[in-house]
Amino acid sequence: MRWRPDFIIPFLVLIFCLGGQSLTHAEGKFNLKPGARGKICLNCHDGFEEILKNPFVHTPVKTGDCAGCHNPHASSHGKFLDADPKNICVGCHTNVFPDKPVSTHQVAAEGKCVNCHDPHAAKYKFNLLKEGVALCSECHKALGERIAAVKFKHAPVEKGCANCHEPHASAAAGKLLKSNVPALCLKCHDPAKGNFQKQHMDFPVADTRCTACHNPHGSNQRGLLYDNVHNPFANKKCNQCHEGPSSPTPLKVRAGGYELCRGCHSNMINEALAKNRLHWPLLDRNGCLNCHNPHASDQEALLAAPMTDVCGRCHSDTITKQKTAKSKHPPVEEGTCMACHSAHSSDQVLLLNKPSVIDVCGECHDWQKHSTHPIGDAAKDPRNPNLTVTCLSCHRSHGTDADKMLLSPTQTEMCTKCHKEFRR
Amino acid sequence: MPTKLLYTLLFILMLFAPAASFAEQSILFQPVVSVYADAEGQGLLNPEGVACSDHSLLVADTGNNRLLQYQVKVDAVEFASQIKIPQLSYPIRVQVNSQGEIFALDGKNRRIVRLKKDGQFAGNLDLKGVPPDPAATIVPRSFKIDQQDNIYIVDIFSGRVIVLNPQGAFLRQIAFPKEFGFFSDLVVDNGGTVYLVDSANSMVYSAAKDAAGFLPLSKNLKEYINFPTCITTDNKGILYLTDQNGGCIVLLGLDGSFRGRKASMGWNEGLLNYPAALCINSTGHAFIADRNNNRVQIFR
Repeated sequence: MRWRPDFIIPFLVLIFCLGGQSLTHAEGKFNLKPGARGKICLNCHDGFEEILKNPFVHTPVKTGDCAGCHNPHASSHGKFLDADPKNICVGCHTNVFPDKPVSTHQVAAEGKCVNCHDPHAAKYKFNLLKEGVALCSECHKALGERIAAVKFKHAPVEKGCANCHEPHASAAAGKLLKSNVPALCLKCHDPAKGNFQKQHMDFPVADTRCTACHNPHGSNQRGLLYDNVHNPFANKKCNQCHEGPSSPTPLKVRAGGYELCRGCHSNMINEALAKNRLHWPLLDRNGCLNCHNPHASDQEALLAAPMTDVCGRCHSDTITKQKTAKSKHPPVEEGTCMACHSAHSSDQVLLLNKPSVIDVCGECHDWQKHSTHPIGDAAKDPRNPNLTVTCLSCHRSHGTDADKMLLSPTQTEMCTKCHKEFRR
Repeated sequence: MPTKLLYTLLFILMLFAPAASFAEQSILFQPVVSVYADAEGQGLLNPEGVACSDHSLLVADTGNNRLLQYQVKVDAVEFASQIKIPQLSYPIRVQVNSQGEIFALDGKNRRIVRLKKDGQFAGNLDLKGVPPDPAATIVPRSFKIDQQDNIYIVDIFSGRVIVLNPQGAFLRQIAFPKEFGFFSDLVVDNGGTVYLVDSANSMVYSAAKDAAGFLPLSKNLKEYINFPTCITTDNKGILYLTDQNGGCIVLLGLDGSFRGRKASMGWNEGLLNYPAALCINSTGHAFIADRNNNRVQIFR
């Protein structure tokens, strides 16, 4: 084979370009003197010597490539960073996020990497600021305190949250879990083992959601059950509600909807059904389970979640209104919807727990019951002959954008809805 | 001359064409009159149900445990009679069939009560032969009667719509879809299509005549509607939903598309406060049970 001259010239140009590029790279983009990289920065930043003694040092720092992240001359970003701090890390760490994450850690998505990592050097692997649960507890304080306080601890949690959760994003499951429940749990807990079966009364629970009954972060109950346990469940009387392990449909419940619960809670249900107005979901196919967990819960009254979340599953408009309102009603904020409403039934519209709206509000606002604008049966609403003035004539109980949860942006506008003679 | 006549006819046709298309438009929701009381001046209390025709209006005066009948006249209503019987303790939905028989859902006892034209008690609606077990619990949340007097019941306990013939014998059932929030009401149009309204998810599902199941008609409508609790149709291509928490009426096309929002929250006439039910007659009048305003408002 012979070299053709017309190929030789472009080939040489290509070699020259490649060689030139690597030469430029070797010198660094700031054309530093040989041996000046990093070392020259330490002339002024002398405190760094100590930091660099940490066992885990960020690779660019280790190689003295300060200019990998910082611009030594000028920058539009704080700390002379060479790019937006939200994006600078992913410039090198390109595989932090999966292509299609199911869940993403908010701080990671916001590029706040330094909330968890020291960009220079740290005592802990991956340049983490703290180790294990202590790091996550910096933000997840309540959970961290609970993990520390519970009587029965879950061993993997003790070793660190990253045993079950991905720190940045998960391609497999929600809540940053490495995989979905029960698959995640079954990696350690073998359902074929005798003890597992005995603890679960021989019910085929391998395909059920473990976290419906167990608190994966630890508990004060044996078996890591949630703190509040339904009595039949605690006493292993599963057959009171389920057909039983010898049945072809062992987990099937013995009756549908509220009728199952009525077996024990007949007084409560009869009392509810005797009222004029029912909370209708109580009587649908899920019945009590629309709001309650039949086995165990970390909420009072075995609620399936905090009350605002439970109520918000159907009444999302109301909860959203409160969340976005400028003036908010504290009971809704605190998740005590039942301060005003009866969850099962009532004789009043809106399932209010007292016949008079004024009395409902007066439970907390007693002073306003007698020292306020005329309200009650004697105060007729001029806008409507069938109405009297109540608190709800001017206020909205789930928050508004006006002060004091008033319905109008200004008091003048509110008052002149009725007192038209003062309109301007 | 014939040419002149032709032009005149064309001109007249052009004048009437917009009027004809206007007639096909939805109700404008201009307030006409409101019903506040019976003949003796006893005010309505939290009315939750309305049934209407071109000449009559039936109101479920829920808080007063009674039904009220009114005659509908041109832009006015006149009290006709009160029906208050012990067998109907808390009426929340009412319907009238083509024979004038009255059906009322008792929300407290969760049964449908049947009344004669004059308001006499004719018995509870006996659900004959409803599978799978005639003794099984049925919880009617709402019901409607179609043009043939068939009765459609939203049974929330078993998750289905039960269809009965005018005598109450079982005809068929349509299962609820697999995923849903909470169904509060339904309507059947003249073509036999059943529309179900999901209050929790602000969605509408539909089942064409003789369909085995429901399909989503609309996407989640939370953007437009807060908490729909009642649905009806004008049989001219518009579905009307009462937005209880939003204090308004939301209009949808038969494809589930948003067509507009009428009225708004308030106490004065023309405004709504937790509207509970809506009925439209063939003259294009809308009767709204304006629950927390203790009245029924009539719009055109």
